[in-house]
Amino acid sequence: MSENIIETNGLTRNYGDICALKPLDLQVPEGEWLSVMGHSGSGKSTLMNLVGGLDRPSAGSLRVGGKDLLALTEDGLARFRRESVGIIFQQHHMVPYLTAVENVMMAQYFHSVPDEAEARSALERVGLGHRLKNRPGELSGGEQQRVCIARAIINSPKLLLGDEPTGNLDHKSTIMVMELLKELRAEERFTVIMVTHNQEVAAWGDRTIYLDDGVLVREERTAG
Amino acid sequence: MLFRILKNSFLKRPKAIFLIFLSIAMGSAVATAFLGIAGEISHKMALELRSYGANILIEPSAAEGGGFLREEDLPKIKTVFWKYNITGFTPYLFGIAEFSAGGRKERGVVSGTWFTKQLEVPGEEFSIQGIKGIAPWWEVQGRWPEDADEAIIGASLAKRLNISSGSDVTTIVRGGNQKFRIVGVVTTGGYEEEQLFAPLVTVQSLLQQQGKVSRVQVSALTVPMDDFGKKDPTTMTKDEYEKWYCTAYVTSVAKNVEEVMAGSRAKPIWQIASAEGALLKKLNSVMLLLTVLALGASATAVSTSLMASMAERSPEIALMKAIGADRFQISSIFIGETLIISLAGGVSGYLLGGQLAELISRTVFNSTIASPLWLFPTAIISAFVVAIAGSIVPLRRALLIEPVTVLKG
Ligand SMILES: Nc1ncnc2c1ncn2[C@@H]1O[C@H](COP(=O)(O)OP(=O)(O)OP(=O)(O)O)[C@@H](O)[C@H]1O
Ligand SMILES: [Mg+2]
Repeated sequence: MSENIIETNGLTRNYGDICALKPLDLQVPEGEWLSVMGHSGSGKSTLMNLVGGLDRPSAGSLRVGGKDLLALTEDGLARFRRESVGIIFQQHHMVPYLTAVENVMMAQYFHSVPDEAEARSALERVGLGHRLKNRPGELSGGEQQRVCIARAIINSPKLLLGDEPTGNLDHKSTIMVMELLKELRAEERFTVIMVTHNQEVAAWGDRTIYLDDGVLVREERTAG
Repeated sequence: MLFRILKNSFLKRPKAIFLIFLSIAMGSAVATAFLGIAGEISHKMALELRSYGANILIEPSAAEGGGFLREEDLPKIKTVFWKYNITGFTPYLFGIAEFSAGGRKERGVVSGTWFTKQLEVPGEEFSIQGIKGIAPWWEVQGRWPEDADEAIIGASLAKRLNISSGSDVTTIVRGGNQKFRIVGVVTTGGYEEEQLFAPLVTVQSLLQQQGKVSRVQVSALTVPMDDFGKKDPTTMTKDEYEKWYCTAYVTSVAKNVEEVMAGSRAKPIWQIASAEGALLKKLNSVMLLLTVLALGASATAVSTSLMASMAERSPEIALMKAIGADRFQISSIFIGETLIISLAGGVSGYLLGGQLAELISRTVFNSTIASPLWLFPTAIISAFVVAIAGSIVPLRRALLIEPVTVLKG
């Protein structure tokens, strides 16, 4: 039995009257690849943001990697994010005036010290060894997303979060990104939580949970 | 890495950066120029004010008023500690006299003085002393006396005698008389209009007071009185006295002059000294206020430009936060940016401000000034102050950006 990297108890997030996430009990064992599905507005991003330390719950408890996120200050959460979490967004969020390798180095800089050689080899690992000096405007959507993956794993996080990382990609690029993530996870052994609208993408995970109106309505294990 | 982030962010947004740079450079230039000429202006204004009358009066110390000062002591005034602050002086010897001209007789004051006396003091700069120098507002119809028997007459005395330039006036005192050729009629707006002014030597022999002087008017550049200056020197400690003596208060300059004039008492003419001090103080506060306003205006401009670029950059800031940048790290990027711009702005402000100061000095005062060395750090520091003040609000805004809201997926 492996440890749970994520444990929530009655985790709730309200926006005024809107209850984006109803009291949720969720355990994610270390190393698991969890897919999160549900229709628009069901609370998927809300859950991701809470788990990633980008947002604070309205009620309930939340432990990630043994840390009680509710007890952390703002700067404490920032530290938690740079040390324990890698995040990939749907929009390929890169700093527009920095090159691919500089975008990766920026994450190293916030974490500790930038190391260009290491950043370069991370980009080589995601198959972008030839686009190191290009800025986001000169990269395709799939390539940008691979830069974001390189940046997300550069500090060896325990947890990789993806909020519809393939949402803007075509089928071929999607497969490429998913295969890349699978490879990296095999080497680095991080836990993956991935929000998706795509059944096929969800099937890459070990387990899928379904949210509906902020409630966990169903979960299923992927066959095989 | 910080350097790389800053460099690329600069290259990416040259227009925004240039605007901020410009705001800082302007503010720093104006501050530099104002501070650079403030000293000059005070000095020039003080000089200008000196033309509105003497501010120190030297009288015989004998209380009964019968005493005299010695003319031979006068050159010593050019040798005192504050000699460079003394812009002019003139002696007077007064006597009550009866004036007669064309059959009329009137009583009045005959006053012996220097008009334009060439004063040569060994070891000191040659100078011209006398009424003409310390009372430039005197209006003389005609000309100033040149010969020993020439005189100018106050307008109201002239009216009573019904005479004008070219007339002869006989001045009668007990024990003698002297005929003067009137070469000018003087209007001063004051009691001088009741007097006849003639060369000191002539009046001395007329009054049989050779080598004697009744009083001396001194015009000196002084600093405004402050609380320390108002203290009574006799109650001061040695150090305080030294400081007081070495500050050009009107009282310390007066003390200075008193020391070289035997049997004298020198006192400030307070109406003039304090009006002058007040004016100079006001002038300095206006300059300071203008400087502060200029800096405030450019800080506001910096703030506005930064706010605008902050709105544009919020996704990037949100992203940095999302991948774990804390407040300190975000702040150092923005403060680093503004400090670099403000360094450039400060240097340009210094160069620009120096030019501006020179331009003002040339057009307003007809003189050139050398920018003092301390203006450089002043320019840089004022640029930093503008930059920091202008960054406060935008930086707070940046720190409040919530990645979750901005990066909605
Ligand atoms: N900042 C906010 N203020 C108010 N309501 C919010 C806010 N963020 C989210 N919500 C609400 O919370 C609910 C859940 O939103 P969430 O973004 O988690 O949905 P989602 O499952 O990610 O949807 P999608 O698939 O469209 O991304 C929605 O009803 C949304 O309107
Ligand atoms: Mg969402």
